[in-house]
Formats: sequence, structure tokens, C-alpha cells
Amino acid sequence: MKTLFAGRLSAKGKVQWIIRALMSVSVCLWVPVVTAELRGLTETELSDVSGAGIGLVLENFKFSHGTDVPDENGNQGRIFKIGGLKSSDGRDVEIVVNHLYISGAGSNYGQNLRPVNLGRLVNPYTVDVVDGNAIGIADRAVLQLAAPTLIDPAHGFNCLGVDAVAGSGPCSSRPATAEYLGERPDLGMQMNLAVGEDRTANINIHAQSAVIDGSYLRLWGDNDRRQMVGQFRLNFYSPEVSINTCSQTGSGCGTRIQMTNFALELALGNRLQPMFFDVDGSGNFVIEVAAIDAPVPGSIGADGTRASSNPETWDFYQEYYSNPDYRSSLSIGNFSVGTRDFGPARIEGMLVQHLEIRTRDLAQ
Amino acid sequence: MKKKYIAIGMGALLAIIAPGLVQAEMTAVDDATLAGISGQGGIYLSGDISINELGGPVEDSYFGSCEELAKKCGARFAYQLKENGGWMVLDEIRGNFAFEGLTLRVRSINSGFGGDGEVFDGDVLELGLPDVIRFHDVRFKIAGSSMARPSDPGFRQTDIISAEMQGNVIMEGNLLVFPAGTP
Repeated sequence: MKTLFAGRLSAKGKVQWIIRALMSVSVCLWVPVVTAELRGLTETELSDVSGAGIGLVLENFKFSHGTDVPDENGNQGRIFKIGGLKSSDGRDVEIVVNHLYISGAGSNYGQNLRPVNLGRLVNPYTVDVVDGNAIGIADRAVLQLAAPTLIDPAHGFNCLGVDAVAGSGPCSSRPATAEYLGERPDLGMQMNLAVGEDRTANINIHAQSAVIDGSYLRLWGDNDRRQMVGQFRLNFYSPEVSINTCSQTGSGCGTRIQMTNFALELALGNRLQPMFFDVDGSGNFVIEVAAIDAPVPGSIGADGTRASSNPETWDFYQEYYSNPDYRSSLSIGNFSVGTRDFGPARIEGMLVQHLEIRTRDLAQ
Repeated sequence: MKKKYIAIGMGALLAIIAPGLVQAEMTAVDDATLAGISGQGGIYLSGDISINELGGPVEDSYFGSCEELAKKCGARFAYQLKENGGWMVLDEIRGNFAFEGLTLRVRSINSGFGGDGEVFDGDVLELGLPDVIRFHDVRFKIAGSSMARPSDPGFRQTDIISAEMQGNVIMEGNLLVFPAGTP
């Protein structure tokens, strides 16, 4: 070392240097040699290995954005606007989002933001590519974005109860307790709708202790139509959904529309009639639930029983008309406007047999 | 004097080479010991991300600098939903996001979460959200378009919705990521 430092190499130094150089080369060579630690997997072992999906949980989460009231100079610290919409008479509609929030329970309509957990470690939000054969979509890999799944009511929680205890219902997300934040957030959006110069319309929507367990979006490709198809299920439960018209400053409140024990179970698309997505030639978005493909030909007996019918055909119709997963429903415990109660409302067992939604540009 | 500089230069060179030379001090770690070693610590990030704040890299009859009012300066992301069909577009994406204190670490959970932690008993990747993200003039549009590029012949686009965001967005908490779903 000393020899090198002086800038000259003695004969002994040269030998040492060469040895060291060789050793460092051998270190480089040595790295690939340790592959003895890696073992090949047999076909049987390999068949047991597959990729898992990704689980997502938000811990102590709080989200808030909105639009501030302008100060005396007309400056606003925060702005959140949604535009590009038009009224039927062609005027621009601008939605000024005064407040959009996700908070823990007891937020008092977003006034008092608290943390909340979204998803459970044992039942999280998931992003996964699932085997279509397992969910009735033959021979397809399906991209699935899912909320926590519904579970056995013997272990789950009532989806609407803010004091629900274990064993009271099918929801996995738990309500807040004195000791724990819970997994049911308060959600809300306060908006001001400006149609042209008219800025008087305020609409505020709040949902308390909201649960979306059992919701999912599944996407895959259809070979025949060469198109993206999907299946969307939205379960939305809240003990109180309210709509009011208070302005941003809290003054000028109109009547509050209140829906207690709000439960929406919406199914768009199923394995027999998936939802097709497209954009047409003029640039408009199209969502379509096509008419069902005709089943394998077979007769149904006059008395309508399986015994007197072609079993395959009978099973096909039986499944299509009785599977609760294909049905949508909406149930409201009590619907009230101001001090007037309109009682409960229910729409149950809706089956979407054909649907086509096409956006239209009113400006053209 | 000149010689001394050379000597110091050689010394510095040696310091760079030296780690390669002292390999005799390294000992191999067996599998059992290695299994007991894991990485510690995490990453703390502060950042300022701008997307097309002044304009994108493309300059043509349609895209250009944000100062040219007649031209579009935001980024464009188009996705085709059907073979030979139209395109779903996320258009005119631009703006600036600034945050301080985004953290990234591996965390071992075996308690808490209302009793779930004990059952879970595993490691997660924890992304600590920065509490506040400052949005500066963040805009985007969702649209349907007949062509992928505005310069393609027969281009027609219908804007469905546009959004504009400015100011502090409160985003508190931790995002926990871990393997789940169908194993």
C-alpha cells in the first residue's frame, strides 16, 4: 500500500497487486457460481404457484378538498370545479365543488373531519386478475377491482346499523366504536351549480357511515365483438343519506330531504349479459347491455317443471330468473322532506334485460 | 510539491479501488444467518411534480405551448374500447402537485386494527400520505373521440366532463399494500 502511495511499484508490490487483482476478479466470477442455492421447480411444484392479487387498506384516512369563499380581493385559496356540461338550452353548466370529503363517523356533515380506515387487513380492497372460470366467465382472465367482500352473516355486521355487532349481518366493514375508528366513512359533496350566470342552485349530498362491501368492477375482452366488456356491482348502504340546499356559507338552507336506512344494490351486466363499452364515430360514449344470447334449443314442458322439460334449457331459465346476483334493488327505510314523512320505499328484483346509454353533445 | 499532488491523487484513486481489494475481510453468510437479516428504515420523499405546466413536447397545428391560446398544451391519453371503434380520452392533463413527507417503508403488523392485526400477522408496504398535497392549476378532461390523435383524419371529439383543482388537498393516513386475493 505504502509503495503504491508513493507512486512507484517495487517487485514485491507488483506481485501483491497482481494477487489482489486476481482475487477481486475471482470475487466477480464467484457470484454466478453460487447458483447452487437456486433449485429448479418440478412441473407439479410449479403448478401450485400463482400470483396473488394486491390488497389495499387505507389506515387513519382523511380526504378533503373544495372551493374557498373568495376573500375581499376575490382570491380563492382552493378551487375545485367540474365543467364541460351544458344545460338543455345550451348554456354552460359549471359545478363548483364547495366541499368533497371522506371522513370518519360523526363528522357532522363534513364539518368535523376525523380519520377512518377503509378496508380490513383480513378483507381488503383488492386489485386482482381472477380466473374467469371461477366466476362464470368461461376461459377468460378477468381484471377485478373489488371492495371488501360480503361475508357469512354469522360473523359479519349489519350493513346499516351504526351500533352493529358481530353476527348481525353480511357486511365485513365494521362501524366505529369508542375504541376503534371502524371502516365505515362519512362521505359528502357540497356543490354549487352555475347555469350561465345563475349561481343560486346549491345541492349538498351527505352519506353517513357508508359501506360499499360486495361491490366490484370486472373487466375483460370479448373475442366475438372485439370489445371491452364488464360487469359492475355497486352495493351502497348508509343509515342516513341526506340532500339539502344550504349555500356554502351555511345560510339560506332549504328543506332537507332525508333517506334513512338507504340500501342500493345495483347490478349492471352479468355473466350472460355483460356490459359493453364503446365510443362511437362522433366521439360519444356508449354503454350497452345487449339482449341475451338464445340458449341451447330445448323445450319447456306445459306444466313448467324440470321433469317435463329439457333439463339444460330449464336450468338456464331457472338460473337467469332466480339468481339474486343479477338483480338490482333499492330500499329506503323512511323518506322524509322537511318535517313530512313519506314512509318506506322499495324497488326489488330489477333485472336489466337491455340497456343502451349514449352520451350526446348538446353543443353540436 | 508537484510530486506530492500526484501522491495525493494516487491515494484518492486507491481509496476508490480499496474496497475491491479488501475482499479477504469478507466472509460468506450462511443461509440461516441470512434469513435473520432484513432491510431496515424507509424512504421519505418530498416532491414537486409538474405535468405539461408550460406545454408538452409535441408542437404541431394542434398541440403547442400553454401561452398559445389557440393550441392545446396538456397531455393526452387515449384508450380504445373496441376494435376499429372510438377512443376514450383523458385529455388536456396538466398541472403541478407538490407534497412534503410522503414516506415509504415496510411495516410488520401483528396488533391493532380492531383485532385484525393479530389475525393478519404479516408485513405490508406502507405508503404514508403527506397530509397535504398542494395542487396548482391541475386540470383534465374526460372525452370520447373518433380518433386516437387530433391530427388523424376524420377527428371528432366530444368532451364529457372537465375538472379543475387548485389549492391544498387534505390527504391524511397510510396506504397499506400487501398480497391478497386469489393465491
